[in-house]
Amino acid sequence: MSEPNRIKGFWKDFDWALFAAAVLLCTIGLTEIYSATKNINGDIAFYKQLAFVCAGVIAMFVISSVDYHTISEHIPWLYLGSVAVLIYTPLAARRIAGAKSWIDLGPVSFQPSELVKMVAVVALARYLADLHIDRYMSMRQIAKACVICGIPVGLILLQPDMGTALTYLPILAIGVFLRGVRPASLVAVALIVVLALPMSWYFLQGFLKEHQKDRILTFVDPGRDPKGKGFQVFQSKIAIGSGGFFGKGVFKGSQNQLGFLPARHTDFIFSVVGEEMGFLGVLTTLGLLGFVLFRSLYNAQTARDNLGLFIILGVVGIYFFHIVVNIAMVIGFFPVVGIPLPFLSYGGSSILTAFVGLGLVISVRRRRYVN
Amino acid sequence: MQREELGVLRSRMSVIAYGVVAALLILVAGFWHFQMAQSSYYLELSNNNQYKQIPLIAPRGRILDREGRVLVDNRPSYDVVFVREGSKHSIEQTVAAFASGLGTTDDDLLDRIHKKRAEPKFRPIILKEDINVADIAFVKARLMDYPEIRVEFQPRRKYRGDLAAHAIGYVGEVGPEDLKRDDFKQYKSGDEVGKTGLERVYNNVLRGKDGYRQVVVDNLQRQKEVLGEEESIPGNDIRTTLDLDLQKAAEEALGDQTGAAIAIDPLTGEVLVMASKPSFDPNVFATRVSAAAVQALNEDKRHPFRNRVIQDKYAPGSVFKVFMTVAGLEAQTLSPLDHVNCAGTEVIYGQTKHCWKAGGHGPISLYEALVNSCNIFFYNVGKKLDIDKIAMYAKQMGLGRTTGIDLLGEDPGLIPSREWKAHAFQTRNKAEQVWRDAETINVAIGQGQVAVTPIQVTWAMGGLASGGRLKQPHLVNPDYLNKLGFKGKPVREESYEVGAETLSIVTQAMWGVVNDVKEYGRTGAKAAVPGFDVAGKTGTAQVVALEAQNKSEDTADNAWFVGFAPYRSPEIVVGVFVEHGGHGGVASAPVAHAIFDTYYRKKTGQFNPPGSGQIAQLNPRP
Repeated sequence: MSEPNRIKGFWKDFDWALFAAAVLLCTIGLTEIYSATKNINGDIAFYKQLAFVCAGVIAMFVISSVDYHTISEHIPWLYLGSVAVLIYTPLAARRIAGAKSWIDLGPVSFQPSELVKMVAVVALARYLADLHIDRYMSMRQIAKACVICGIPVGLILLQPDMGTALTYLPILAIGVFLRGVRPASLVAVALIVVLALPMSWYFLQGFLKEHQKDRILTFVDPGRDPKGKGFQVFQSKIAIGSGGFFGKGVFKGSQNQLGFLPARHTDFIFSVVGEEMGFLGVLTTLGLLGFVLFRSLYNAQTARDNLGLFIILGVVGIYFFHIVVNIAMVIGFFPVVGIPLPFLSYGGSSILTAFVGLGLVISVRRRRYVN
Repeated sequence: MQREELGVLRSRMSVIAYGVVAALLILVAGFWHFQMAQSSYYLELSNNNQYKQIPLIAPRGRILDREGRVLVDNRPSYDVVFVREGSKHSIEQTVAAFASGLGTTDDDLLDRIHKKRAEPKFRPIILKEDINVADIAFVKARLMDYPEIRVEFQPRRKYRGDLAAHAIGYVGEVGPEDLKRDDFKQYKSGDEVGKTGLERVYNNVLRGKDGYRQVVVDNLQRQKEVLGEEESIPGNDIRTTLDLDLQKAAEEALGDQTGAAIAIDPLTGEVLVMASKPSFDPNVFATRVSAAAVQALNEDKRHPFRNRVIQDKYAPGSVFKVFMTVAGLEAQTLSPLDHVNCAGTEVIYGQTKHCWKAGGHGPISLYEALVNSCNIFFYNVGKKLDIDKIAMYAKQMGLGRTTGIDLLGEDPGLIPSREWKAHAFQTRNKAEQVWRDAETINVAIGQGQVAVTPIQVTWAMGGLASGGRLKQPHLVNPDYLNKLGFKGKPVREESYEVGAETLSIVTQAMWGVVNDVKEYGRTGAKAAVPGFDVAGKTGTAQVVALEAQNKSEDTADNAWFVGFAPYRSPEIVVGVFVEHGGHGGVASAPVAHAIFDTYYRKKTGQFNPPGSGQIAQLNPRP
């Protein structure tokens, strides 16, 4: 294949639709970040987010141009490096909201636990793709898969950042489910989870931080409101509900503009969308997010091999978990956990991770044809 | 890749895809619920968040004296208030954060909040009134964390200490029982209204109408935008009939004594002086901090809150002899030429009655009997009149009934009669219901059952001195109210027949009480003002008989002086009462002198009051 053809092929196989959906989501996010912070003097969140998106797009192009097999080959080093960074993080990090999960990098700070997710995705995909099995995984194999995800999760829990640690669960769950587990095991796991939840509450009493306990208790009983967590969700519900079908108009949401919404440009960005763009905006955004998920699943179906398929499903799992938990949280269907909305929430680590995931998906797509 | 395996993976992927669809649909349903089904509810909550109505409190009208001098003014002041609505702290948390900083206890603040718990949550609850600069700084510094605690502007009343406190009254937060009254029903809890005195009676004139400002606020309750404003309408100044100079003179002369002084213009009914002692400083009601001071006033045995001018009745003593004389002459049971031989004692209706003068006055004429206040003479006047005639004339002259002063709580006093006794003792046996003639003899010298309020005896004296014309006493001229656009009740006027000779005899004698140097009695000499013909009558009423049941009470006589000037065409009638003051000529006449003297010097341009006070600019409205 000649050089011009290769370049032409790159652009032809590139997933423009997926990229366009991601850019549209970022545009909605940037609009509402601007709207949420324009009244705060000297706040440059909008410009920083713009820079993060540009950096994310570049990272996406770079990763999508690299063969995912190459990434997979280097995964042992990447994995070990990630573990090292996660050990280093709480030692060097500064404390934000009670957790030491950020590293200062000059003008920006970075949350390694976000990006390490993608390393975990590829690592687990590689392990699962290389397995030679009949139909179902053995317990030993399941245990090994758990260890691959469990090491970073354990380190993140030590920071302690339960919210981010939780987002690793879907990688493992989807991977193991796809690779195959006995239906009996599936039922057993489901039962254990259901039974373990209340029991673990007692077990975790000593381990959970006060604010984490409060969040869970507030979710179970919103009337209980020791530190105003229920107040936060209530204001979010007011914002969303008052938006109605068409919304109050961009830059015109009173809950947003007058500062009644907490964390409105980060974790609660979707309540701003709900207030200012209304049900219409919510449907559009959910539609675009759904499109990203299904387009990725479509790419997984056309993947050249199991490695590609598992990588994409891992990324989809992370996106899906973030989307559902974050959006369920802003309407009070889920406790307040600090999980950002991919492509919309303000935050460099979150944006970069989302685009790296997109790069992986497109990398798999570009090599779907056996040649 | 093996085709079989791919098939299995695809079927598992479709399970995931269905899961994604299901989750997204649940979220869409959730947003449908909030944004379509319940949108109006949340829109209202959102509006409640951002729109606030800030009350603009109308400044209360000032209260002025007859010359426009300010008796009651307003001063700026601030309160700390707590708004429960939208607070993200529990009440206990908020209270704990502010109690010590505001110099109080958690319990005090919780108590204040508890009392208002039934009210709407958006209504501010006052935690501390009339705060100082340090309190303002303390609250403002915590605005970020505790937006539910705010500082609110609240103009407060500024009284001249205890000057005319009983007539003026004081203001306070409207109480639950006040709100049920017809004239108070337009107010709401938290509003400041007049509680007593003129503040109460003319509350609707003084109060004005609060306005409001509709604003957009942010989450820290900072004002972002003004949407609309309805300006407050300030209350009306009220010009009273009181004369600051006379009032001051009366209060100074009364000093620490327990008693009352009143001065009325008998031709118009205008009250120039209304003083009751001991008094209180209405400024103590401005804050709850001084609750202890209010408590002390409440428990004071001398009852400083009672307006003795209108609320308490006392035996008039010898002052009543003036009215007995008129009754006797008009009923023609007494002749101007009658003489009685006063031997010091006389047996009447089987009882030995004494004159105040041991050894007696000897043969005594009507004039001498009035000037020297001879009891024996008036026992005989009473005996000839009989109780029902005495009652009829006394009532006609204005005694034993309310005067209709524009204040609340006036006591009607008591002029006894046969009918009254039968009624008052109806629960006792028949014998006790019958009037005994011996009682008439006591009434004849203003003792026994007869009891009058200082205002009514002064009013009656003024009416008599001006020839039987009674003008309803008032502190605010109804014409003045009419000019402000309020309906002032016209001054009630009544009159009765009194013979010119009768009037002449009585007023001459009263002039003699004060001025007749030939008479060694001259009991009212201390009320005399050179150049101003003061006429009057002293009274020294025994307390023992009335209050015998309470031995711990001071049993010194009550001292009266009631008089008017100039005696031929009276412009001012003055009544002074001093509880346990001893002789009327000693304790009460000097107070009357102070009022007459000040009045006369003002009238003749010889009065230069020290710091006579600012003259208020009256601003009448159409």
